[in-house]
Amino acid sequence: MAKTKEALWQELSDSVLEMEEDRAVAAAEEVVAQGYDAFEAIERGLSAGMERAGQLFEEEEYFIPELLICSDAMYAGMDVLKPHLRQDDIAEKHKVVIGVIEGDTHDIGKNLVKTMLETSGFEVTDLGRDIAPARFVETAKEIGAQLIALSTLMTTTMEGMGAVVRQLREEGIRDNFKVMVGGGPISQGFADRIGADGYAVNAAEAIRLARSLVGASESVAA
Amino acid sequence: MSRRDAMTPLERFAAYAAGSPVDRLPCVPIVGNTAARVIGVKVGAFRGNGKLIADAQVAAYRRFGYDVIRVFTDLYTQAEAMGAKVAYPGDETAYLEAPALNDPMEIDRLVPADPFKDGNLPHHLEAMQRAVDAVGSEVPVNGAVTCPFTNASFLVGADRLARLMLRDPAAVHRLCEVSLATNLAYAAAIMAVGATPSLTDAMSSNSVISPRQFREFSLPYLKRLIDFIHGKGKGVTLHICGKTAGIWQDMVDVGADCLSIDNDASLADAKAAVGDRVRLMGNVHPSEVMLQGTPEKVREATLACLAAAGDTPKGFIVASGCSLPTETPFANIDAMLDTVRDFRPSVPLIQAT
Repeated sequence: MAKTKEALWQELSDSVLEMEEDRAVAAAEEVVAQGYDAFEAIERGLSAGMERAGQLFEEEEYFIPELLICSDAMYAGMDVLKPHLRQDDIAEKHKVVIGVIEGDTHDIGKNLVKTMLETSGFEVTDLGRDIAPARFVETAKEIGAQLIALSTLMTTTMEGMGAVVRQLREEGIRDNFKVMVGGGPISQGFADRIGADGYAVNAAEAIRLARSLVGASESVAA
Repeated sequence: MSRRDAMTPLERFAAYAAGSPVDRLPCVPIVGNTAARVIGVKVGAFRGNGKLIADAQVAAYRRFGYDVIRVFTDLYTQAEAMGAKVAYPGDETAYLEAPALNDPMEIDRLVPADPFKDGNLPHHLEAMQRAVDAVGSEVPVNGAVTCPFTNASFLVGADRLARLMLRDPAAVHRLCEVSLATNLAYAAAIMAVGATPSLTDAMSSNSVISPRQFREFSLPYLKRLIDFIHGKGKGVTLHICGKTAGIWQDMVDVGADCLSIDNDASLADAKAAVGDRVRLMGNVHPSEVMLQGTPEKVREATLACLAAAGDTPKGFIVASGCSLPTETPFANIDAMLDTVRDFRPSVPLIQAT
């Protein structure tokens, strides 16, 4: 007997939370086979599961290894569902440019934030690691991003974050973008000093911050 | 600049451990590549130059008068000696460009490093030897050892290691085993030149892995390393970055003689939990306070550490929470030392000369 879409959402969510990649793929394939909406299945199934995983991370039930395997299951399900998204599903997302600042090749934290942003309905352009400040600005302009997310784990590369904000100011486009920063040596005090719009202490916090920042920019625009 | 102290660091540590009067409490701003600034050279010049590292570290010790010299440039020296690719920017701290393996299936091809031949290890040993020769009669000289689990993360990549922990635990154990073999050889060489291994284990943090995973994948190897060092009659300082409250008991059980507490953890909690079993050091914020703060802010943070843990039953060393950023202002390092010099601890003091 065919499962209801609600049952499949639950199945997708559980398989992400329980780190079962094959089960996520099977559930996603059934969503497609039943002709259920792919966007809804991602939102209510895979993303919901990743959000529950993020919750367990905050409660220190899950740690980085678990979150990575959860995200593997989520992406495996996503790969099945993505070709079945309608064009208007894709268009309505907030866009964000993310990357690790020049001189730093640690990207485990950045990858987590990227994953969580994607599951929270953001369209993420990931520049990778060791990225020059100017490239963040160029890319943000090019794709019409609302948000620039900068990460570093090294004190030696922190100043590059300030360079991004400075360049936005110099080009007179500071107000077009929100800038959020994170990573080991970063603090709220540092974010304030370089004129960033926000700082997040971990991946779960980064998602809340991203949502509130784009929410804020929307209300300004309206 | 810095005021003369009445005791040398070695005299101070000995008196402090014995409960005899000291001139001040021990203080260790953890100076790594900042030493390059003391002698006006580029950080990149340390690569392959043990004499220069020693010159810089000894000059920095003389300039600031802190209590431990720690030969350290970056976390990757042992991984590099096992095949990882390390990038050396001209004047910044080196970073891991690529792990030793691209495919975890190749683990069995890894061989332990020879500390007298491979990578930059011989140069770091030379630096320790020279520092010991120059000032070893007055100050402890430590050599930084990146512990088995963290070093393993540089052999396959941190995210790959994290996935292997859940998908192929046996592979993680094989990696830690070969990592440990390098650690043991390097620790032996460090002690052979008259220095003391100082253990640092960033990835074992509860900011990354769970206490349960720490006990399964990191602790057994850490224990063998510490047992080996103890067997040679040396004490062990163990630094794990980030959050560590969930594993303090384990860190003590495994034999650490001093826990270096990161700024993400609470010194007061550490004192309450394990201060009757182990000496503590920490935890002034390396970037927010030491790099970006003013001397006054450093003074406040230093006093806050002393208030939280200055009366730790097994002793306390004011320190930075982790290695200092290269560009830490000298005035801030002086401020940490001077605050400790002015502080009146609960232990007996000798009359300063």
